Amino acid sequence: MTQKVPPLLLLGLLAGALLAPASPVRADSLDRAALVQELCGDAGAMGKAGATLVTTAAAGSAEDREWAAPLARAAIDRKLACDEAGAMLDEGGLDAVTRAPRAAAGTPRSPLLSLKNRPVFELADAAFALRGSPAVAQRTAALKTLERRPALIPEGLLEGAAAAESDAGLREQIDTLSQTAALNASDPAARIRAIGRVAENPSRRALTRISALTADPAYAANPDFRTAVDDATRRIERGIAIGDTLATLYNGLSFASILFMAAIGLAIIFGLMGVINLAQGELIMIGAYVTWLVQQGLRHAAPGLLDWYLVLAIPVAFLATAGIGIALETLLLRHLYKRPLMSLLATWAVSLFLVNIVRVVFGTQNMQFETPFYVSGGVPVIGDFIFTWNRMFAIAFAAVTLALTWLVVRKTPLGLNIRAVTQNRDMAACIGIPTRRVDMMAFGLGSGLAGLAGLALSPIYSVNPQMGQNFIIDSFMVVVLGGVGTIAGTVVAALGIGQINVLIEPLWGAVAAKVIVLLMIIAFLQWRPEGLFAVKGRRK
Amino acid sequence: MSLTAILVDGLTVRFGSFRAIDDLSLAIDYGEVRAVIGPNGAGKTTLLDVISGITRPKQGRVLFDGGLDLTQASESAIARAGLRRKFQKPSVFEGLSVRRHIAIGADVGFRSRLDAPALEDRVSEVLETVGLTDQADRLAGELSHGQKQWLEIGMVLASDPKVLMLDEPVAGLTDEETERTAHLVRALVRPDRAIVVVEHDMDFVERIADRVTVLHEGRTLFEGSMDRVRADAAVVDVYLGR
Amino acid sequence: MSRTSANLPFTLLIAVIVVAAGAMPALSGTSFELSRYLTNAIGQLAAFAVLAISLDLIWGYLGILSLGHGLFFAIGGYVMAMYLLKHSFVVTGTVPDFLQFMGWKEFPFYWAGFDVFPYAFAVAVAVTLLISGIFGYVSFRSRVGGVYFAIITQALVYVAMLLMFRNDTGFGGNNGMTGFSVLFGWPMGTSGMITALAVASLLALALVLVACRRLVGSRFGALMLATRDDETRLRTLGYETLRLKLIVWCLSALIAMLAGMLYVPQVGIINPRVLSPELSLEIAVWVAIGGRGHLVGAVIGALLVNAVKFWLSSAAPDIWPFILSGLIVLVVLVFPNGLMDLAKLRLTRPMGPRRMATELEEARP
Repeated sequence: MTQKVPPLLLLGLLAGALLAPASPVRADSLDRAALVQELCGDAGAMGKAGATLVTTAAAGSAEDREWAAPLARAAIDRKLACDEAGAMLDEGGLDAVTRAPRAAAGTPRSPLLSLKNRPVFELADAAFALRGSPAVAQRTAALKTLERRPALIPEGLLEGAAAAESDAGLREQIDTLSQTAALNASDPAARIRAIGRVAENPSRRALTRISALTADPAYAANPDFRTAVDDATRRIERGIAIGDTLATLYNGLSFASILFMAAIGLAIIFGLMGVINLAQGELIMIGAYVTWLVQQGLRHAAPGLLDWYLVLAIPVAFLATAGIGIALETLLLRHLYKRPLMSLLATWAVSLFLVNIVRVVFGTQNMQFETPFYVSGGVPVIGDFIFTWNRMFAIAFAAVTLALTWLVVRKTPLGLNIRAVTQNRDMAACIGIPTRRVDMMAFGLGSGLAGLAGLALSPIYSVNPQMGQNFIIDSFMVVVLGGVGTIAGTVVAALGIGQINVLIEPLWGAVAAKVIVLLMIIAFLQWRPEGLFAVKGRRK
Repeated sequence: MSLTAILVDGLTVRFGSFRAIDDLSLAIDYGEVRAVIGPNGAGKTTLLDVISGITRPKQGRVLFDGGLDLTQASESAIARAGLRRKFQKPSVFEGLSVRRHIAIGADVGFRSRLDAPALEDRVSEVLETVGLTDQADRLAGELSHGQKQWLEIGMVLASDPKVLMLDEPVAGLTDEETERTAHLVRALVRPDRAIVVVEHDMDFVERIADRVTVLHEGRTLFEGSMDRVRADAAVVDVYLGR
Repeated sequence: MSRTSANLPFTLLIAVIVVAAGAMPALSGTSFELSRYLTNAIGQLAAFAVLAISLDLIWGYLGILSLGHGLFFAIGGYVMAMYLLKHSFVVTGTVPDFLQFMGWKEFPFYWAGFDVFPYAFAVAVAVTLLISGIFGYVSFRSRVGGVYFAIITQALVYVAMLLMFRNDTGFGGNNGMTGFSVLFGWPMGTSGMITALAVASLLALALVLVACRRLVGSRFGALMLATRDDETRLRTLGYETLRLKLIVWCLSALIAMLAGMLYVPQVGIINPRVLSPELSLEIAVWVAIGGRGHLVGAVIGALLVNAVKFWLSSAAPDIWPFILSGLIVLVVLVFPNGLMDLAKLRLTRPMGPRRMATELEEARP
């Protein structure tokens, strides 16, 4: 997930595919002297020269383009000096053909572009700039110029430019223009091809563009054209539907990941000690703040590692929140053994304290986080669904946490002790398990997991002293639904609640989603009061 | 009234994959004291849980007095039908006085149906029976373990139950207290009442039980008098191991 | 609890409340007259004390902790605010702010009749009973209790808060409702009205206190304690604990609703923040500090905590959360029965804090 190659590669291939069928009339080799001569000729000759320049920009070799680019600019600026021996580029005293220095032969004259020729040269100039200019800003400006006359853009130019473009945003704009140009071409076959190409990348924008063609005269006149438009519309609509579904699932999955990370600690602690830790949301918040502190520390101590703060903060966030959890258990909850409601109040006091201490120290504003490359951007997959790396980070993080938690609980002595005490505290104590120590360690583990949740959500959600409260109620619901102290229950309940939330939200809004989730949980408890994965047993 | 107070028919209770009671059938008659014994995990308390409606079985039924199917009735309906139970762990209301306990046990309802003097008489009578007259105004939380056991017995017998279930009534008691409890249980025997006792203390069982049912792994291993139980090879195997 | 030793504090408290209620109007015009601020504060404290009683009834006596009692308080408060706005509109023609804010020409249809107080009151009772009844029935039927019940009620009040934050619900949304000018035909904000409201709140407090006292002292009250101590035991004695819990739960909700109705005209505003989980938790803290299972304790806890809060909110608002969390820790660790422990300690020999906490351990988890 830390690689940036896949999206680039994908787009490169895409652009390559676009380029292939539009193979333009390739000017085998440019007759440079003839071109310069035409540039110094009459309006008709200059017109031909302009067309040649445009063709060169679209399909010429890289050397030819580099050679020809200054000519277009010079002609526009009247800096081309025509003389007896051909022409010179004014400023450097270079020969226009050879680019070697030479003296002027006779009185030079700078030809004036006619009103008809000027746009052609401007087009050529912009085309050269788009393909050859080193600065993104200049290429963007060149694209703006091209956008004004889409009908004049030669085939192949934009595809070539897109393939070479390194800036993702600009590349997308070039692609868009390229499609628009093709859709509005004069040749119906080219248009139909273009429609097919647009449909290959379904999105709401593509749909708008294609459905606009139903108003085109060709739609009524040309049955092939109509069929192509209708087919494309269908394909795009299907693509959008798939994309939307995937996007919903993906968002649900990322929300569920955060919920799972917030709830797993809660569930372990609840299963073990019967205590609901109302400060769990604040431990998440502390985890996020510790992440921020690590970022700030790196900024000062090792700016080169700044991008890796999310990774480097993992042990720090875990240990810091685990430490707070252990302190909470030792100082408070240990003395409230078997008094779950009092423990509830005690943990609320801690939550109140943490929120306010953070508020006093850091203020109430949202904290600013760097966005490292591995959590920025994403891959457009289909329709409007973008596989974003920040959500992927949360999902992958949760998956790794799940695996590690499972390993700890299932395969380590601590995990064995936790399971033993969860099932029967008295019996566990009898066979010599230090239950209080297990409580402490488990509380540390649960709290540390909350800290990691805070780290994982910092690239997605805003980080402020109140943030814990946004997750805590939902994670309680996960614990209630999943049942006491089961990892599997927590996973399933988090997935369920996460997906239900994102499914309902677009239909009736976020508030309705929360209402419905709560009602569903209450209804669910009618059916299984102990939660999904509760182990049944005799009344003790 | 039929002769049989409790008829257990093909009862199976499962906790997950564990069969706590496995296709168990037995009958308990009016007028008898029936002891249910067996090693830990044999299903004794689970059997009482099913009879008192706390646990729902997977299969089978439990008929009370030849009519009411207890597996379909609520705990409170079962109690109101005349089946009362003392729990294994003394279960009393720590915040209430001893007197209140007996009053709550004697007369079910949010408001008292008996008139005050009648209730008072009944409470005094029961307190006398279980020997807690002197403790009448103390809070249950302040009582000793043995007193709590008797208080709970008093509470369940105050309503004159037709079926009285006692889950380990002498666990944790001194010999003297056990002796008193044995007398108490025998004094409670009536022709129209069945008493079911779950107990580990074999001497106690021998003193009170008319018949003994030995449960093992959720099934009846043996049924008969205590003498025959002691003589039975299978029972000795189960208890003493091979 | 219901034993004789608690008789003296109870009588004293009732006497103080009634004397305060009687003295306030009598002092008006004399040099001992209380300031408007103080009178108003006393009235608000009385409303909070009623709220604390409502929670103590189910937590202290029934062992069910609700972290969502703000919901019923808010129902009373919102209905009262609706009555006040509609009544003020009918009398003075003032269009409420929130209608103007939403650009609505007239009240939503469900506001019809709210200018008639008996109707508004009946609606408040009906809504409270409906919500508490349904929620209580499904929760108690599935035997949800303890921590589960506490967090589900918290989720309930949280969801209600999100709902009321929406501006399109017709209940004032984010800004809530304010600008009450007339109550029962009398102008609000006058000294007389402030005193009258404070006296009414004190009398309501005395009334609720006496009524609850009678309830918990009765056979029914004993059954409540029995349910708290061992519900299964009581059920297997033939009692329908579901019905008992439901009755007390709904009664408690109604008392909380009443507190809300007393509170809103005195504070002059209602907004969704009364539905925040924090307020509902705070109620539990008042009761814990005063002492669960003691009506007098709940009242004193509510009065004390809120008096300190009133004072601090003007003097040093940032410190309050820290003091509150410190108080909670103190109560749960050292004085599990709150102020009632302090009262007891005075009578017994001194002991260290650890010993004290174990001595004073609550009767049952």
